[in-house]
Amino acid sequence: MGDERSRFEAQVLPHLDAAYRFALALTRAPDDAADLVQEAILRAFRGFQGLKATEAKPWLLTIVRNCYFTARERQRRETALPLRDDCDEIPEDSLVAAGPDPERSSIQEEQQRALGRLLPRLPREQREALILREIEDMSYRDIAAVTRVPIGTVMSRLARARVALKELWIAEHGAADR
Amino acid sequence: MSCAEALKVQAYFDAELDALSALEVERHVEGCAACRALLEDLGKARTLIRRDAGSITAGAALRSRIGHALDGENGPAAAIQRAKPSMGRSWPFWLGALSGIGTAAIAAAFAWLLVLPHAGTGLLDSLLAAHINSLFPGHLIAVQSSDRHTVKPWFAGHADVSPIVADFSEQKFPLIGGRADYFAGQRVAVTVYQHGLHVINVFSWKRNTGLPLRDTTRSGYHLAFWSLGDVQYCAVSDLNWSELTQLERLIRSSGEQDYP
Repeated sequence: MGDERSRFEAQVLPHLDAAYRFALALTRAPDDAADLVQEAILRAFRGFQGLKATEAKPWLLTIVRNCYFTARERQRRETALPLRDDCDEIPEDSLVAAGPDPERSSIQEEQQRALGRLLPRLPREQREALILREIEDMSYRDIAAVTRVPIGTVMSRLARARVALKELWIAEHGAADR
Repeated sequence: MSCAEALKVQAYFDAELDALSALEVERHVEGCAACRALLEDLGKARTLIRRDAGSITAGAALRSRIGHALDGENGPAAAIQRAKPSMGRSWPFWLGALSGIGTAAIAAAFAWLLVLPHAGTGLLDSLLAAHINSLFPGHLIAVQSSDRHTVKPWFAGHADVSPIVADFSEQKFPLIGGRADYFAGQRVAVTVYQHGLHVINVFSWKRNTGLPLRDTTRSGYHLAFWSLGDVQYCAVSDLNWSELTQLERLIRSSGEQDYP
């Protein structure tokens, strides 16, 4: 068992940050993202066998995403409250509060706050496509596999996300900054 | 405002194009102001996002939490032992469930296997052979789990389609695992369900534009066909028709919920 654990740690845990960022893009709340990642890692560990190293990242992110939808469904059944995804009230600074890092400079914080306000305003489909492409540097093919849509859909979601982000940025900072 | 080539330019920006197509896009961009502006915007947005969100990490607290949670797990070693009975000491749990089928059925299955190669090489034969072959100990399941979150991602690396996977324990059709078979030139995804003492293999593969497949019965096994999107499904079992089509309905409706 020790071997499996260390194999798992070597192959899957390097993608923990990616899993967390993706979870954050989905949930838009650091606490929910942490819970989601923990659940996904445990599920991944239970199902971990015969996995090729190159598959580990999309595989883990797929599990994160599946866990997210299951949790959402559970939440929908258990409460009559509107879900985060369905309402416009977005927790302020939700991306910023993610990883408190004392070494982070105030300028960086300011920048993060800017994006932390913008990215969560995009629809989920656009957030996840954009994060997977720009932050995780994944190919269209891998994004399509993780988000379970055809590659053409990935392309149009990315295009819409990028246009929407630009418009939000201009609305906040003015066109001159860009 | 935006050019018809915008998606292609985006694909170029995302390094998704082969050298020849990339060259075409570069030529186009030279003469298209809209696409030049688009490329510039894409670059700015990337810089902004990478600078801002790229430094977000899981954090020490979450890491240690996950470490502790993993300590409490039996780990995949146990699962591997279950999935490969020949290598482990204990039989997989589902073999216990299958033991009611008895050696006679296994023997009958073996007999069919000997006959099948002479019966033709069509798709029906492949399906039937794959079903019967799966009933041998150790052949039924490669990823043993009732958790669709475990089974479904497994297919991503092992099969050419991403089929609907769901557990229907409440309806007495528990999901017991999955595996990949190879026939019709594809890696076919197989989800395995159980109903009482019966095993149901649900095969799925990329639909090609041949004749529509009709439900049929062969050698005492029923084969139910349906398709969703571009995926062709076939459930094979010795269940009676009404139970088999009940499972088909469950899978169909689950697919429609999951992929609206």
